[in-house]
Amino acid sequence: MNHATRAAKFVGDADRTTWHDETLWFVRAKRDKAVYAVPEFQDLRELASQIKDHTLSKLDTYLEQFEEQAKRNGVHIHWAADAAEHNAIILDIIRQHNATRVVKSKSMLTEECHLNPHLLSNGIEVVDTDLGERIIQLRDEAPSHLVLPAIHLKKEDVGETFFKHLGTAKGEVDPQVLTEAARQHLRARFLAAEVAISGVNFAVAETGGVVVCTNEGNADLGVNLAHVHIAAMGIEKLIPRLSDLAVFTRLLARSATGQPVTTYTSHYTKPAAGKEMHIVIVDNGRTKQLGRPDFRASLKCIRCGACMNTCPVYRRSGGHSYDFTVPGPIGAILSPNIDMKKHSSLPFASTLCGSCSDVCPVKIDIHTQLYKWRQVLGEANEIPASKKWSMKLMGRLLTSPKAFGVGGKLARHGIKYLPYSLTHARHFNVWAVARELPTPPKQSFREWYQQQANTTA
Amino acid sequence: MSSSREKILAAARANKPDEKPLPIVPDFGGDDSTERFTQVLTSIGGQVVWIDGPEQLQPVLKQLYPESRLSASPLFPGTVPVDALTSTEVLADVDLAVLPGEMGVAENGCIWLPEANMLHRALPTITQHLVLVLDHRRIVATMHQAYAQLPSTGGYGAFVAGPSKTADIEQSLVIGAHGARSLVVLLY
Repeated sequence: MNHATRAAKFVGDADRTTWHDETLWFVRAKRDKAVYAVPEFQDLRELASQIKDHTLSKLDTYLEQFEEQAKRNGVHIHWAADAAEHNAIILDIIRQHNATRVVKSKSMLTEECHLNPHLLSNGIEVVDTDLGERIIQLRDEAPSHLVLPAIHLKKEDVGETFFKHLGTAKGEVDPQVLTEAARQHLRARFLAAEVAISGVNFAVAETGGVVVCTNEGNADLGVNLAHVHIAAMGIEKLIPRLSDLAVFTRLLARSATGQPVTTYTSHYTKPAAGKEMHIVIVDNGRTKQLGRPDFRASLKCIRCGACMNTCPVYRRSGGHSYDFTVPGPIGAILSPNIDMKKHSSLPFASTLCGSCSDVCPVKIDIHTQLYKWRQVLGEANEIPASKKWSMKLMGRLLTSPKAFGVGGKLARHGIKYLPYSLTHARHFNVWAVARELPTPPKQSFREWYQQQANTTA
Repeated sequence: MSSSREKILAAARANKPDEKPLPIVPDFGGDDSTERFTQVLTSIGGQVVWIDGPEQLQPVLKQLYPESRLSASPLFPGTVPVDALTSTEVLADVDLAVLPGEMGVAENGCIWLPEANMLHRALPTITQHLVLVLDHRRIVATMHQAYAQLPSTGGYGAFVAGPSKTADIEQSLVIGAHGARSLVVLLY
């Protein structure tokens, strides 16, 4: 199934599509307000972009520095080349402690590696503790947004889920009441957990520490109560200096939700006395992306989700239509790197309007990369024949003024006289499935222009 | 798995672009007033209360939290003695934690709370209500100035900005997710 087919399901519910669109636009508007309040915001974007470019250009050195520093702090470091190794390492650490109860705070990397099913199938109870993540875990769904994992659900959906799983009253839809129920339910899990798994927002080479940003405090509560903390980080999370965090913490929450900063910006550097801290450093295709000059900038992403909130296609098609851990514009440039065949329709799930690049806090040229992926996919024969041939035909038409003139004339008369059943034939003209054709003008622009020239002469 | 380590480092070395410079990050200045700090912290769900000095702490707390039974603090003898080895069961009952904040940041209302000021790493999030006591002269304008003043981040430390919150259900803001349900900053 391609993006358009999956999106068609979401768009089928017009009210929900409109609601989804408006909700995300509201977040985008909050982002703008927060951004305008910081006079140097554009300078910060440039600095963040340069810091990330620099880090990627010395990634091996910084990885080694980070490892050395973290080990000096008493942290256990593990290296995982791919998802399977990441999962095996984490299961191994849990087993070494004879643990079965694990709490997890939000981590897109563990989603990417499908850690939960792996642990569950090995008899480990793993509970997602971010409210949105918990909701979708109970519903057995994937997150549909980087920062707002349950943004595709309405409060009625959450109420129904909690009625079924947490014993709240039937028909309860008050977010306050539902959140309180989740708080009580999850608190019991926090108190009982033996191991806590977290993601990593930033890893600092200079200190060997990792930084985790949350609003709910779920990472801190889990990590600081459990005996063992396992942090899973992609190699691209590195930044060189502690002071660089100032740049990124000023950008992240403002870009993501329009908050001045996340409620908790927590720095985990050493394990607490008598406890253990592990960091799993994961590649899973990232060094490959580093070697592709056109696409390496995607490794600068700090996972704020701003590109999703602003994307006219994402807002109207929903995150699940992308069928990838990271949806939206950034996901559409990350996914073909992982599996070009499976995700070949995603770089086309975009208008190329450039709005994603405009809001990106680390200045990734997202829309340019989407355009470049289309070229790569075209050359690799990964685009549908109908699109390929119609583009070829249009290409020829547009490069020949004579053919263009004749084609225009034919179209103007064609639309007028052809029967509706033919112009709107589903398989012949996909464009017209949800659109009406325009009323053809009497004359072409060129004819009109010629006429003007004659009358003024 | 040292073989994966070598593989990843070798691939990073082979695939990295030519070295790019590391930029110098300017200070940017900014507004470090208590007014700005108060305005931002209030807008994110926190509350600021002025006190004359740390000696005034207990009467003010009694007034603010008349219902509190189980408090923990390094600033006065609380009802629950907490240290790094306190059990989870005991921690779970604390309803009020009163901790010294190290530094405030006016642009976003956050307060730096190093491990040394927490009694137990989980205390600031497991308590039902959190009070941070802060010297108003320790407020800086931006995160740049805050990090410039941190010699290191210790074993653990957090910038805390307001009470725990979530907007995961239809973007409705709910205060009190998993961490503290409220945050009061006592400025002196």
